[in-house]
Amino acid sequence: MANTLRLYLTCIRNTLDAAMCLQNFPCQEVERHNKPEVEMKTSPELLLNPILICRNEAEKCLIETSINSLRISLKVKQADELENILTKKFLRFLSMRAEAFQVLRRKPVQGYDISFLITNYHCEDMQKHKLIDFIVQFMEDIDKEISELKMSMNTRGRLVATEFLKQFM
Amino acid sequence: MASFERASPSLKNILQKIYRAEKPLELDHHLHEFGSVEYHIQSTAFDPHLAYLSISMPLLSQGDLLPSGISRYTMEMIKGISSDIVEIIEPAKAGYQLTLRLDFAKIPRKKDPVKIIRDISAVQATVLSAQLKEMLWKVNYDDTYQGMHKPIKLVYHPREPFYVIRQPQKIITVFPMRFKEYSDVIIATSFFQELMDVGSSKKWAKAPPCCWSPIPPPELRGEPFADLSTNGGFVTFDIAPRHIRGKRLEKTVWNLLNFYAYVKYHVKCTKGFIQRRMRKRLDSLVEVLHKPNLEENEHTKRVQGRRRVRKWMRLPTSKLLKRKCGEFTKKIKRIRFRLKIQGFLCFRQRWLKIPKFSSSRGYMKLD
Repeated sequence: MANTLRLYLTCIRNTLDAAMCLQNFPCQEVERHNKPEVEMKTSPELLLNPILICRNEAEKCLIETSINSLRISLKVKQADELENILTKKFLRFLSMRAEAFQVLRRKPVQGYDISFLITNYHCEDMQKHKLIDFIVQFMEDIDKEISELKMSMNTRGRLVATEFLKQFM
Repeated sequence: MASFERASPSLKNILQKIYRAEKPLELDHHLHEFGSVEYHIQSTAFDPHLAYLSISMPLLSQGDLLPSGISRYTMEMIKGISSDIVEIIEPAKAGYQLTLRLDFAKIPRKKDPVKIIRDISAVQATVLSAQLKEMLWKVNYDDTYQGMHKPIKLVYHPREPFYVIRQPQKIITVFPMRFKEYSDVIIATSFFQELMDVGSSKKWAKAPPCCWSPIPPPELRGEPFADLSTNGGFVTFDIAPRHIRGKRLEKTVWNLLNFYAYVKYHVKCTKGFIQRRMRKRLDSLVEVLHKPNLEENEHTKRVQGRRRVRKWMRLPTSKLLKRKCGEFTKKIKRIRFRLKIQGFLCFRQRWLKIPKFSSSRGYMKLD
């Protein structure tokens, strides 16, 4: 792993570790309702300051915290057009299957590629450190997958081009 | 999707069916294929060895070279497939450009009938190749525009025209590439770059040099704007005389005619490949999240196991207690036994009387 990436991921891990102290908190507006405050934003006293961690202009992570929920939004690097379409395709594919992840948001926050919403219930069901591990692992895997996809596409293209030119011989 | 084989697979199947039929067959098939090609196959039970094949297809060029129908050279090429078996009927059936009479009874025993049928099924490829070859030969050298030869627009598929420009040393073919989706454009562009890289390597020096550019090449200057507006750029192949010499001509012509279909097939396959890979990756990503649950379950199972062990440990103790008290209960049962034995009551009062214990917490009733 590149040194800068390791630092970036460590920073996110530590921030998440600190931010992920969620507790059950019923809605203050509607009786018998329990809503993620980070989404509703009805009571400013229940929200914490959002934290933005940037590796560079193209890669950043926004962590928004509230008393009972946490929202993590990621922007994945897209060096060229091919990476851009691959990232879009892959993240859209994952967002459409959000139910498999439980913590994945169907629609990313504006300006980001993918978002997660973690509530206190998620923290109770799944262990906190495992959730943090998952987010960090996810970020690593996405980067790796996109660069691998790009490489295999170029390799396929080269093979197909070779086959096409072979027909002229 | 277009078939990259010269022979039409469905036409080949039908012709083989007619040829191998044990009983006389009555057939009337209409086939439609990529490139607005239509086949009409007829066979009567009256004469089972005869079949009529009519073909309709768009002309390769709408220009002055082939103003009407199929040229004499193309006719000769069709006859060349197998002069005994194939006979051109003139005039062709209404709505079709060419009608052939196929006599399967005349297939020589020495020759392989499968190969002959395959050649007949490739009649459309033969016609197209013949047209393109003829055009390349008939190009007027004097027909120049500002020192350059005028490009010939070829329409293999109505939405996918391409250009052939004859120059003294080579023939240039230019493919304006158009795609419906943006992602297709990106995949195709990366393929064109690979094609350029591979083509420029020493190993493929004999293959026609390929070039991709987002802007139209200077040879197409003066062509209608609508034809030059593309989203996938322009791919140019420089065909040298050695590429169209002898048997290579057939291959070169067929490859050029199929270039569009080839690129589109590659784009489609690449999209499928991405989708497959994403599906595989999804499983591994989800696995990370569900891992803690599995571990938790294992942990709880282990705890439950311990509880069970505890229960098993308790059982022998209860059994032991039962065994210990067994003697005592037997005595009680015996006492309550209804049969009266002489002198037993006295014995019981004396020996088997349960002693009265005075509790330390007991109290004395005070009068």
